[in-house]
Amino acid sequence: MNATVRRLDGPVPLELKDVYAAYHGDISVLNGLNIKVREGIVTGIIGPNGAGKSTALKTFYGFLKVSRGEVRHNGQRINGTKPSDMVGRGVSFVPQNRSLFNDLTVEDNLRLGCWGIRSDKARIQEALERSYEMFPILKDKRHDSAGSMSGGQQRFLELARALVIDPDIIMLDEPTAMLAPKVSRELYDFISGLPEKGVTVVLVDQNVRQCAAVSDYLYVLDLGANRAEGASADFGDDEGLKAMIQEWLDYQID
Amino acid sequence: MSSILLYNALIGGLVFGAIYALIGASLNVMMGVLRVVNFAHGEFVLIGSFLAYSVFSLTGLNPLAALPVVAIAMFFGGVAAYYLLIPRLRYSDDAETSSFLLMFGVSLMLVSSITWIYGADIRPVNFSFDPVNIALLTVEDAYGKGRDGKVLVPTARLVALVINLAIIAAMTWFIYRTLPGKALRGAIMNRDAIQVVGIDIDRLSANAFGLAAALAGVTGVILTLVIPSVDPNGGAPLTLFAFIVIVLGGLGHPIGALLAGMLFGMVEQFSNVLLPQSAAQMVGFVMLVAVVMFKPEGLFGRKVMR
Repeated sequence: MNATVRRLDGPVPLELKDVYAAYHGDISVLNGLNIKVREGIVTGIIGPNGAGKSTALKTFYGFLKVSRGEVRHNGQRINGTKPSDMVGRGVSFVPQNRSLFNDLTVEDNLRLGCWGIRSDKARIQEALERSYEMFPILKDKRHDSAGSMSGGQQRFLELARALVIDPDIIMLDEPTAMLAPKVSRELYDFISGLPEKGVTVVLVDQNVRQCAAVSDYLYVLDLGANRAEGASADFGDDEGLKAMIQEWLDYQID
Repeated sequence: MSSILLYNALIGGLVFGAIYALIGASLNVMMGVLRVVNFAHGEFVLIGSFLAYSVFSLTGLNPLAALPVVAIAMFFGGVAAYYLLIPRLRYSDDAETSSFLLMFGVSLMLVSSITWIYGADIRPVNFSFDPVNIALLTVEDAYGKGRDGKVLVPTARLVALVINLAIIAAMTWFIYRTLPGKALRGAIMNRDAIQVVGIDIDRLSANAFGLAAALAGVTGVILTLVIPSVDPNGGAPLTLFAFIVIVLGGLGHPIGALLAGMLFGMVEQFSNVLLPQSAAQMVGFVMLVAVVMFKPEGLFGRKVMR
């Protein structure tokens, strides 16, 4: 799906280094996880249910406390950073669960995405215009409540809101879950083009085939630890991995 | 029945309704944003009333002179109370129940403190406006014997109503028209998402707590014009009214609380006029039970499946 060849050895703006993390108590969900997010590419994270994919994103974003290891941003240790500070660091997040404010209008949702620049009205207006240019449907519906839109439109609004103040990195957790195939394809096309717009992407997806197709580099997780990693193009050569992925797919289909 | 009584009920309904609306709306902001069941909300109102009483008794000034001081002091007091108490609830398995118990303790502590400072007696706030009453309109043949009657309303109540409505309008404008207000509503709708857009949920929650405390305190000041006395044990009924208003209006729905407050005030005042005293006291609570049974999301809330 990627038309251009991208560098897989670029700088690492975001990294999980030997990270252990838990939701409650001592039962660790991440067990020494290592992920390097390289600039200018789509980094995919796949794995079976419970592998720790979403947890990895939440840990990157500060929603989960790291009990051991390091989260690093541009080489700086950022363990304990609040989620709200990540936007200021140029990192956006679209979580798996719907994150819109349903009773607010489309434009108000986008304006809240501009919270970090709220005192600069001109910049906000510029950011809104850019969003509307990127997603014309949102301009048509800007006075509608977010909750009144279709599932696909809501997902695009979440993406628009995450991109509204020009992040360097966007993290997407299951962006196509519950969407119609046609909308999913549109979304994947959009995501795969983000690096050309200067946005590095971290993508977690249950849809292994699509995730592999969109991603430049893949991490395979299992039980909160690394199982395999490599350029997506090379993954087809690993018979053992192919068999494992086929096993998940069969399980998902069952 | 004289139509004057009905006019009086209408005005009383507006005056008390606006007070219930403000108490309910402020509690709704706190519960909606923070998920804190503030059982001490009535005492927050009471603090405002007692500060107004202090201003009046020490200076002889109109209790309304206390409004700006109470608003500012209660806001910052609320923010401080938030940081002191609320973040600790995160360590609880059931934060909402724990918040109820915590705030019940705060309520007891505040009543004790007020009693310690002011004593246990009910204190009068004998401030009077000039003129004491205003004749709003004249009703022809008001008593059925060819005599006209005037609808007299205490000036203090009219002033209270006007100020209350102005505060409600300002609060509605803030919540519905400004970005921080929309952030508060956003936090009520989706607390996790508010962090995703880069808003510090702790700071927002502290401000919401401060805002709710300030509004409660301001309501307490206004209340001294409507009921010209302050009672250290007067907080509990106010808390009860606030919860009734929230249930009627819908949790997390600020406008719903405002409308429900007005409705509750009207029903209460008209019941007082139209029904025997003992039955009148029940009507508001019957309405509450009916809403819980037939429209549990509140009259203005939206159904949510959990």
